[in-house]
Amino acid sequence: MNVDELFEGIRKRDLRSVSRSISIFEDDLQSSKADELMKRIYPITGRAHIIGITGPPGVGKSTLMGRLSKRMKETGKDPALVAIDASSPFSRGSFLGNRIRMQDSLRENGIFMRSLSNRGFKGGLSLSALGAVKVLDASGFDPIIIETVGSGQSDLDIISIADTTAVILAPGLGDEIQAIKAGIMEIGDIFVVNKIDREGAFLAMKDIQDTLSLGKSGNWIKPVIGTNSLTGEGLDELINEIDQHKKFLGNGSGRDTRPTSELYLLLENRIRKLIESYVSDDESTADIVSLVRSRKIDPYEASEAIIRKSFGHVGKN
Amino acid sequence: MSGGEYLADGKNQSLFKDKPIKILLAKPGIDGHDRGMFVLARAFRDAGMDVLYAGLLPTPEDVVDTAVNEDVDVIALSLLNGAHLTVFKKVMDLINKRKIDDIAVVGGGTIPDQDKPKLEKMGITGNYGPGTPLKVIIDHITERATEARSRKNRN
Ligand code: B12
Ligand SMILES: Nc1nc2c(ncn2[C@@H]2O[C@H](COP(=O)(O)OP(=O)(O)O)[C@@H](O)[C@H]2O)c(=O)[nH]1
Ligand SMILES: [Mg+2]
Repeated sequence: MNVDELFEGIRKRDLRSVSRSISIFEDDLQSSKADELMKRIYPITGRAHIIGITGPPGVGKSTLMGRLSKRMKETGKDPALVAIDASSPFSRGSFLGNRIRMQDSLRENGIFMRSLSNRGFKGGLSLSALGAVKVLDASGFDPIIIETVGSGQSDLDIISIADTTAVILAPGLGDEIQAIKAGIMEIGDIFVVNKIDREGAFLAMKDIQDTLSLGKSGNWIKPVIGTNSLTGEGLDELINEIDQHKKFLGNGSGRDTRPTSELYLLLENRIRKLIESYVSDDESTADIVSLVRSRKIDPYEASEAIIRKSFGHVGKN
Repeated sequence: MSGGEYLADGKNQSLFKDKPIKILLAKPGIDGHDRGMFVLARAFRDAGMDVLYAGLLPTPEDVVDTAVNEDVDVIALSLLNGAHLTVFKKVMDLINKRKIDDIAVVGGGTIPDQDKPKLEKMGITGNYGPGTPLKVIIDHITERATEARSRKNRN
């Protein structure tokens, strides 16, 4: 499919076009097509409310997302989902397991969901997620819900593309919760303690509430909600808080910082890629590396040397 | 060899440019023999693929919907319950009806030799059974995926 066909398909919500377009944003070999497509769709985006779901592995993010989207659909919303799985550090492959947890909810309600591999992208958020969100936005889905990899603090990039970020926790995280709280309390707009059927849920909620009350409180008071994703308990409350937060942003009380933060995310990535393209496919880089291997130079010197030979002209006039 | 491989013994994934092969594993029928699925899922991931599993008891419709929404290159159908001729055919019929020609379909499980030509004729290749070396399976899938991908990327 060429860009014209894809664009038409996106507007008509032909799911093959939608999903093929997302693939194009996943494939670096098609980056010129991706650029062209983004140019077409960007003007018609910005309508969807983007919800980020983040939190440590195993707390029930995928299960919750499935249930949440089902409930939203029942109440007349038109959600689409994106979930990011971590790729194996040893092969570039991945097991895209989030889908299995929500398969039943998706199936019953015909909800569009797309799995993405983070392909080693450090921020926990696949860059292609940004493309996926734009494609779904352009085809009129609202809201769009994204699940991050779930590696706790490294998921912070989610705020770059989400309007509302929900941090999911669960009872029984133990001491881990202290570490998590350090980074994650700031990024959440809404806090969820999932698995309230488990022991310690009430304490976990109270603990989070206490921590939040210590922090700087802006105009938005961050709610803490208990949910059970197996039964659906608490989900209406969560939907209500998401709606409230959306209203809050719409009032102009929250600034619309998303376009800027998205831009920085992209810039950072493009610069990284640019550096990689300079550094790779180069015999002299290999020579420098072998010097480090044989301990003739140290890694600090080596990185300096690689930078100098690749970017020597940059900034030197 | 790329600089990435020099720098980190080939483990710097961010330097891989192309999108990995994406494959959906599915048992579209009443078949609880899932051990083989996990063996294959793992082998495919370790071979560098993005692997999806359709979960328990997906209908042929579920399988095709998931394959389209996830934009996979390959659907790997597996049955050990003997119903492959009817069930695999249902999946193929849906694919043909939706005019999908850029997703390859491969099969496997307990498939008697005499059924293999029938499946091949439907466009389902491989049809490997117990004891097939994983390398044979992976090579076949890579070949079929490459065809599918080039059809996806045509204009
Ligand atoms: C272990 C086993 C079970 C376990 C399953 C445990 C589990 N969670 O998986 C249990 C005990 C539960 C079980 C139950 C039954 N089983 Co049973 N079971 C087996 C057995 C001995 C081994 C299967 C296995 O796990 N193999 C190991 C895995 C790794 O191999 P695999 O699944 O074959 O997959 C490999 C290849 O086939 C190939 N492959 C598979 N799929 C695909 C797909 C693609 C695309 C590709 C490329 C390759 C590929 O690659 C895989 C990796 O190498 C087989 C006999 C046999 N030798 O195959 C019988 C067998 C499959 N079972 C059989 C039967 C009849 C049953 C029951 C109906 C028995 C009963 N009356 O209750 C139930 C049904 C359960 C159900 N709900 O479906 C029959 C099926 C006969 C048929 N085809 O008509 C078999 C063949 C035994 C026999 N000779 O009668 N079973
Ligand atoms: N008891 C209980 N278990 C849950 C709940 N939500 C999810 N789970 C289970 O928690 C496990 C991890 O869920 P998953 O959605 O994969 O978590 P994720 O890693 O955060 O996406 C699964 O076994 C779920 O069935 C809940 O509310 N209560
Ligand atoms: Mg998950």
